[in-house]
Amino acid sequence: MTIGWRYLLRRILVSIVLLWLLSIITFAIYFAIPQEPAAFLIDPQHATPAMIEKAHKQLGVDKPVTTQYGKFVWRALHGDFGVAFSGLSYNAQSELEGTAVGAEVIRAAAVTGWLALGGIVLVILFAIPAAMAAASRVGSWLDKTLLAVALIGISTHPIVIGVVLQTFVGNRWHVTPPGGYCPILDSASAVFDPLATHPEVCGGFSDWASHMILPWITFALFFIALYMRIVRVRLLDVLGADYIRAARAKGAPESRVLRRHALPNTIPQLITMMGMDIGTAVGVAVYVETVYSLPGLGRLTLGAIRGDAGFDLPIIIAVVMIVGAAIIFLNLLADMVLAVVDPTIETRAPRRAQATGGVV
Amino acid sequence: MATVEGIAGPVPAGRPAGAWTIAWRRLRRDKVALASAGVLILIILACFGGAPLAAKLVGHGPDDLFPYAQSSLKPVGLWSHVPDTSITESLDPLAPPPTKYGTTLFVLGGDGPLGRDEFLRVLYGGRVSLEVAIGAAFLAVLIGAVLGTVAAYFGGVVDSVISRFIDLVMAFPLLLFLVMVGYTTVGNRLSRYTLHGLFSPGVLALIVIIGAFTWFYPARIVRSEILSLRRREFVTAAESTGAGDPWIIRKHLLPHVAPTLLVWGSIAVATNIMLEAGVTFLGAGIKIPTASWGTLLASTWGTVANPTGYNPATFSAWPTLAPTGAIFITVLAFNQLGESLRAVLDPQAIR
Repeated sequence: MTIGWRYLLRRILVSIVLLWLLSIITFAIYFAIPQEPAAFLIDPQHATPAMIEKAHKQLGVDKPVTTQYGKFVWRALHGDFGVAFSGLSYNAQSELEGTAVGAEVIRAAAVTGWLALGGIVLVILFAIPAAMAAASRVGSWLDKTLLAVALIGISTHPIVIGVVLQTFVGNRWHVTPPGGYCPILDSASAVFDPLATHPEVCGGFSDWASHMILPWITFALFFIALYMRIVRVRLLDVLGADYIRAARAKGAPESRVLRRHALPNTIPQLITMMGMDIGTAVGVAVYVETVYSLPGLGRLTLGAIRGDAGFDLPIIIAVVMIVGAAIIFLNLLADMVLAVVDPTIETRAPRRAQATGGVV
Repeated sequence: MATVEGIAGPVPAGRPAGAWTIAWRRLRRDKVALASAGVLILIILACFGGAPLAAKLVGHGPDDLFPYAQSSLKPVGLWSHVPDTSITESLDPLAPPPTKYGTTLFVLGGDGPLGRDEFLRVLYGGRVSLEVAIGAAFLAVLIGAVLGTVAAYFGGVVDSVISRFIDLVMAFPLLLFLVMVGYTTVGNRLSRYTLHGLFSPGVLALIVIIGAFTWFYPARIVRSEILSLRRREFVTAAESTGAGDPWIIRKHLLPHVAPTLLVWGSIAVATNIMLEAGVTFLGAGIKIPTASWGTLLASTWGTVANPTGYNPATFSAWPTLAPTGAIFITVLAFNQLGESLRAVLDPQAIR
């Protein structure tokens, strides 16, 4: 029921070390790959060595790797992730100006966050009732239909689901916009959609929601199918237990047995699964953002990786850090919630927790 | 002596049925598992043996171009005869196509503006996709089993180091790293290794990268299973007879973990097929014109770097349906096989 403070402290310390290692590895991969960052400022094919040297100096890549890394850590600790390599331009004082990575990554993270949040709400709204309906009538046509739909859901590629929904619902039937993103707060701004022929202006809650419906459905379908199967199997396990027989014997209606007695016992496993699936969710989010041209973290990184001039290090490292931190934090959160809802888990004895490999 | 006296009467002499024999007996009664296995064998035969055979029968390869394989901008449909030429003979788009009909686009028709044979490409693409998926799952199981066993068996500092390493790899956004490595010269250099033409370009690179970022999952499973097996009496008994560490691991521990790894491997193959298609769609996996189920989707819908988008004038369902169907059936079969294996290999199962 309670969380041991020493255990929590140890987990947080380990998380910080993990993030630090993550940044080192990203830097190492970046500098292990031969490339010419000067290409962001000049055309290296037609430049003199002096021009390339000047470009390196302006980008800050002329110093040794360790110095650059130290500078990155120092600035990151102060909440500053530097300036992106791409989109740099000279201002009137012939100084370099560019977009601040921190603000850009936060803007993109908000889009991905909205996508994931709406998707999770859909998963909980649909997966659990479907699993309960299937488990309450095992072997019925309803159970079989739901299982077949779930099987189709986990065996179809999210990209295909996205493209099909976009083609039919968006492009042919014009029910929702086929792609693009509208900010939820601003009253008017241009739709972000590289495929759009006519730029529209939109904003506000209803525009935002109509642009997000298809992405949410696409994101959620795969996980609804996955979690429906898991919760159903777990419910069937639990329904055979003695305390369920006791509840039925005292005359509790079947719906109450399912809702109040069986369902709570599936929650710990659900949380464990959610913690382990965060990595997968990031991947699915990248697909969804790509199909629907949402300006989220996935698209931001893809743009930074596949740019003509090469890797945009400041953006890549900021995204890797924020996604890594999210995965680590949500895993920690899942373990903490698990420790609260599952009384059989003990976090007060770190020695024993270590022997069984952490909480889960 | 044929029988010995057991508690409940005579029992057959000799060795009792082993775990694998029991599992095999149960598997033979599981219709879904048998169907999945049958479908998978058919798919593997069709992709590895059938693809060259089909190419020989129709007389052209999967990469051959047929610019006349379209009618009013859409790729030709099922079972069409098209002029057997890879060059457009007249610059005037309204000029009639050459009348000499040479080849048949077998079953599935063309794949878009280039008019390649979609059926052959699905078969050859399956070869590449399956090689990537099975190879990467095998590599992940191999690394995961070794590291997981070492961590759990030796414990202490070794365990701490490996466990933190597992946490680290887990925190990596896998897809972003796949794309990052895929776009680089490192990825390009890796792509050139084909083991003397055994694999298509890019296959080995994807196997290594996917395997290197997904091994943490089997490693976690193996570690937790061996941790609990380690303290059981039969291991202590083996230790007391003077058995060495390698012997105990090989003969007493790994056989217990093998079923779980088999189940994970089967489901991982399904996931990897999806991953190959996804990475290729993101522009970093197998490169067009090499056929894979991912590049087939990408040549219809474009990649991130080069999106095609929806165009009602050129849209045709076949080039999307064919690879999607292939991915769907294969992933479904591997998932179902994995679930069935999990059921039949579970010693606690009542059936």
